Amino acid sequence: MTYALVSLSIPLLSALVLMLAGARLSKRNAGIMAILTSLLSLVAAWFCLLDVAAANQSILLNLGGWENGLAIRLRLSPLSSLLLLFAAFMHVLIGIYAGFSRQSVSRDFWTLSCVLHGSLAALWLSADLFNLYITLELLGLTAVAMVALAGKKAYKPASNYLILSLVASLFYLLGVALVYGRYGSLDVVLLGLQTQSDTTTRIALLVMTAGLMLKAALWPLHLWLPAAHANAPTAVSALLSGLVVKGPIFILWLLWSEVAPVDLAQQIGPVLAVAGMIALVAGGLSAMRSPYLKTLVAYSTVAQLGYAMMALGLLMTWQLPQMHVALWLFVIAHGLAKATLFLAAGEMQTTLGTKRVSGLRGATQTVPVAMFAFAVAGGSLIGLPPSGGFLAKWVLLEPMLSSPQNWPWAFGVLLGTLVSAAYIFRVVAISFDRARINPPDVRPDRLGHWLALLPALMVWGMALIGEWLIEFLSGGGV
Amino acid sequence: MTLELMPDIVLGTLLLLMAWGALYAPTRYDAMALFVAFGVVVALIWARLGAPDLALAEAAIGAGLTGVLLMQAARQLPAEVSVTGKRMPWFGSSLLFLVLTCAMFAAHILTDSSFKQAGIDTSATRLLGGPTVPEMVTAALPNSGVSYPVTAVLLNFRAWDTMLELLVLLLALTGVRQLYPGTPQHPRANTASSPQAWPVLLSWARFLAPLLVLLGGFLLWRGASGPGGAFQAGALLASAAVMLRLTGLLPPLRWSSFLLRLTVILGALLFLGVALASLAFGDGWLVYPTQWAGALIIVIELAATLSIAVTLSLLVIGESEDLAS
Repeated sequence: MTYALVSLSIPLLSALVLMLAGARLSKRNAGIMAILTSLLSLVAAWFCLLDVAAANQSILLNLGGWENGLAIRLRLSPLSSLLLLFAAFMHVLIGIYAGFSRQSVSRDFWTLSCVLHGSLAALWLSADLFNLYITLELLGLTAVAMVALAGKKAYKPASNYLILSLVASLFYLLGVALVYGRYGSLDVVLLGLQTQSDTTTRIALLVMTAGLMLKAALWPLHLWLPAAHANAPTAVSALLSGLVVKGPIFILWLLWSEVAPVDLAQQIGPVLAVAGMIALVAGGLSAMRSPYLKTLVAYSTVAQLGYAMMALGLLMTWQLPQMHVALWLFVIAHGLAKATLFLAAGEMQTTLGTKRVSGLRGATQTVPVAMFAFAVAGGSLIGLPPSGGFLAKWVLLEPMLSSPQNWPWAFGVLLGTLVSAAYIFRVVAISFDRARINPPDVRPDRLGHWLALLPALMVWGMALIGEWLIEFLSGGGV
Repeated sequence: MTLELMPDIVLGTLLLLMAWGALYAPTRYDAMALFVAFGVVVALIWARLGAPDLALAEAAIGAGLTGVLLMQAARQLPAEVSVTGKRMPWFGSSLLFLVLTCAMFAAHILTDSSFKQAGIDTSATRLLGGPTVPEMVTAALPNSGVSYPVTAVLLNFRAWDTMLELLVLLLALTGVRQLYPGTPQHPRANTASSPQAWPVLLSWARFLAPLLVLLGGFLLWRGASGPGGAFQAGALLASAAVMLRLTGLLPPLRWSSFLLRLTVILGALLFLGVALASLAFGDGWLVYPTQWAGALIIVIELAATLSIAVTLSLLVIGESEDLAS
């Protein structure tokens, strides 16, 4: 647990120091410091993962040494240690991209990215509904400030995002208040033992779910996401799509898999699963029709989150432990792939001087590395074997195909796959149009392009450790 | 209906009226005045519900500072166009939605008796037959270092929440600073950014400011044994600073000053330092040694008060030349 706390506090401390140093630290040094911070946190998270793997169970810690129910409880489960590692890795990668590639970021990016890292770590570790609310608020405010980094054109999406995010927080808080009033406890583990499916609990859970769905941009509450993610600076878009929307999903999963009574979860499950299916198709269709590259990638986030929601809904309906694994494999595979898509899209935009998808004509020749990264990561989103996306989809499909009454769900997954393939191949097809090449404005930035490729290769590499991942996540991930 | 219920009904009705007025007032200034009045009524309701801490915070932040913020924002907006006869396109559908929701809610309450029981049945809020949280707080209070349960919860039992809340405040400021990128184009002289204040206002401000500082100090000290504490004291100090700044008696607070930045992050930094020190040398993350608990809480609260005061006043009165790095 000590390693987890170290991994959590290093970024927070570094954020405060960066804020204090202000202009005394040059922008480059601030960047180096933030990257080193994430690197240290990554090392701590690795040791923490080894700890959990050795203990083979969740580790609980009552903060302040007070008794259960009075103290805030932190919980280090195999899943949260994996997510700690994932968040730290993404921060290192995107930090290097933001610091050393041609995309310039302002000084406050580093402070904000450190706070983002710290608040995500706090979120993965928390097992207390009110504490989760505060981490959620931190996450939302950081994300809004990061969108605003892009300057005047981003103010409107940022302010829309802020207002929706606050409304969503208040919804969640209302639910927390109802739960506390009914059961007199905020601790996830304790609540799981005593919840009943009465009206108060039902209203509380539904209100919280609505708030979290709005925060995570799950269909039909996703309309704010494309504008906010597409207008942010490239590095920020990658962080937002790869990490920030996963926070609310974690809380949603915690609520329905642990806090909610089983019969209530079984009632609501199909609704979420169907919403996930619609998200897959509707988000995919919007991505297919979008004229701008970054908007296309942002809509693909909406679509891909549909898989996560489907896995959650089916987990609630069937109460199958396998679905936990499917859900989190999706989240990690999507995070890595989406980082690549946004970084590659940003690089191609700058090099080719166009935001339009149609401007990518001949990109296979002019920006080959970035385009290759885009296609490789897209392959994982589609779910081509042996990528991480395929791994997750396989775990999800297995129980669907095993009995004929579940086949309609499999049809939904198939439809989602087809739509994903359509919007990825649309981009790839245009980039092969070498007859009417769109000449690049500047020479491609080598480092940026290769950095974009790295997570794409990692998501394909997930298949190599697939067996270990599945065992690790199912061996006490809950 | 008993006579005791009358003030509650009056306050509740008043609250709804104020909210309605603030939303649908014909001019901007009417709406802002009604919003401030709304904040005052909310504060009264908290006081009536037996939560003086919340009442203080609501009056200082919800009514006072937010009111100033709204006025400042209105000053920078273009003159308002007439809104008479403006159609409210969603009004009908949202009213229908509201009625439907209320009807569904009422139907639920009528058919499900657990909702009615929840408020009365105290055994339901027991942790698996164990003590309730208020009982646990009372039992643990002697070891917490303070004698007022709310402060004990905020700074000892759930100190981690409070630490993260301090970060939330810092982030709000960082977010606002993003709206003023780069260095200012036309640095103004060290004079008041507002028009010259009335003489009456000036003399009142001179009289009120020391009183507010005194009151803030009292609230901070009082927090150990009764309603009060860092957030309330910080908000009061901030309101004093805002008043002085608006009347031009205080020079601009500049983000480029190291001392100011140190004050802003002091609370969170000290809190994190205590947490790390307790992890490294003590019994664990945020475990205070019992004999030091009282002193530690006071020190943290003092630092937090200063940080909150400066952050809130920067949020309200900070202008582009103050906040740009």
